[in-house]
Amino acid sequence: MSLIRTGAQSLLALGGGVAILLLTPSASLLGMFTQAVIYAIFALGVGVLLKQNGLVSFGHALYFGAAGYGMGVIFALDWMSAEWAILVVLLAIGVLAFLIGLVIVRVPGIAFGMLTLAIGQMAYLLASRARGITGGADGMGIHWPSTLFGVQQSVLLKPAMLFMVSWTVMVLVTFVLLWILRTRFGSVTEAIRDNEERARFIGITTTVPRAAVYALSAVVTGIAGLMSSLNTGFVSPENLHWSVSAITLLMVVVGGFKTALGPIVGAIIYFLFKDLLGEHATHSMAIFGAALIAVIVFSPDGIVGAVQRLLKGGRVHGGRRPAGGH
Amino acid sequence: MNSYVLQAEDVAIHYGGVKALDGVGITLEKGQIRGLIGPNGAGKSTVIDAITGRRKLTRGKVLLDGEDVSHLGAVERRLRGLSRSFQRTSIFGGMTVRQQVELASYKMGVQDSAADADAVLKELDLDRLSHALAEDLGYGEQRRLDLALALVGRPKLLMLDEPMAGLSVQESQDLAQHLKALTARWEVSVLLVEHDMDVVFGISDAVTVFELGRVIASGDPASVRANPRVREAYLGSAA
Repeated sequence: MSLIRTGAQSLLALGGGVAILLLTPSASLLGMFTQAVIYAIFALGVGVLLKQNGLVSFGHALYFGAAGYGMGVIFALDWMSAEWAILVVLLAIGVLAFLIGLVIVRVPGIAFGMLTLAIGQMAYLLASRARGITGGADGMGIHWPSTLFGVQQSVLLKPAMLFMVSWTVMVLVTFVLLWILRTRFGSVTEAIRDNEERARFIGITTTVPRAAVYALSAVVTGIAGLMSSLNTGFVSPENLHWSVSAITLLMVVVGGFKTALGPIVGAIIYFLFKDLLGEHATHSMAIFGAALIAVIVFSPDGIVGAVQRLLKGGRVHGGRRPAGGH
Repeated sequence: MNSYVLQAEDVAIHYGGVKALDGVGITLEKGQIRGLIGPNGAGKSTVIDAITGRRKLTRGKVLLDGEDVSHLGAVERRLRGLSRSFQRTSIFGGMTVRQQVELASYKMGVQDSAADADAVLKELDLDRLSHALAEDLGYGEQRRLDLALALVGRPKLLMLDEPMAGLSVQESQDLAQHLKALTARWEVSVLLVEHDMDVVFGISDAVTVFELGRVIASGDPASVRANPRVREAYLGSAA
């Protein structure tokens, strides 16, 4: 029943996207919204790792950038159609992340964060130095074919179309994530996150589900990377840099990681600060930093958590979820 | 052919030069409750850790229903019916009571995990709290939930590490009697580590006494209570 409700909410969200499209006065503003939506997908990936595994990644830009490089290399070598390339790249990211996850999810807390940082920076250096394949620090153009899923590129790359495609992908990713988390797999990973030792003593093998969550979060991040490569037609080592991972993590923390809406809200707020306030205030990032401190101190479950409590008229300090909630 | 559910033979766990357990042997028959007592640091909880696979054995072996499970991990031992609760309440705070008990039952391979979860919750009087978040329960209720997680799938052997800790005298007595009745009905064998001597001597069929990682006495409750060495080492004037 709740899945039907989520489906209805998703349809409403799609309608919301159309409303934003109609109400946005300029193409440049729409371009900024498209970028915000792409980062919202990225943040969903980082958020699901934090929510289901309780792990903080400083290296998810690896999968964001890898998706772009993967498409760029496949197009440059003319290996396959764009549609197949999308599937192959996402599958490769999933398999790679699962294998990496099998090793690193065993490491708790801050050590896990440091490992993700190290792996991400290795990829950054590799992309920077492998000039023959990646174009090095100059980056590489991603030459999408003239049609994608039967849609002409000239149509697809129009700001309004790109925004709606990104928005639809974000809504679909959110729906699929919510569905997955409501399955038995979601309960298993929640149990492992809450109490790994107890989970073992109710017969749960803990490493594989945690690696699977890591792979799932990487694939979602890869989808964001694909959308980014479609949006910009370009990828560079900057896409792999740890600072990109850190900024996305900030979005998740500010928005709140306990609900699917949190990372999306965090991404939108970040881009509002960065691009809208940025024209008027030279220190927009400092303001965002202050917002981050305020959120961590006053609402550990983020802005969405605070709003939920306000609506319920409940406790001031967060950290607890509503009964049965995902 | 073998009436023992559990046979722990010559079990030793050493940490460098420290002998946490040193050649311990314990047996348990079907439906029997064996109390493990001894001063703090005597090795009672370590025995449970050794039997469940939480700690690696330096020496010795553990047989469950005649099968050597010493080489198996904690998950495999649990799936074979070797279950435990923890000294500190160990539950899934962010999940509802029913959600986690049903999940545990499912992972134990119970075909109708929903019915099994309902039966266990009813048995422990937790059914009225099914939809409550575990972290919102009172302490006594959390202890019962811990026990419920250990009971799903009808284990052959249940090891309880101080299940009465933090409970009132009345709650302890109630839980003890409940446990006694439950083991008889469900034919589950119990290893009970507990500091409440009234409970241990009240419901155990046999008692084993530990001191410094070794067994210093073992037998029926009356003989153990009368053992001069036990009285000197642990029971003292309380006996």
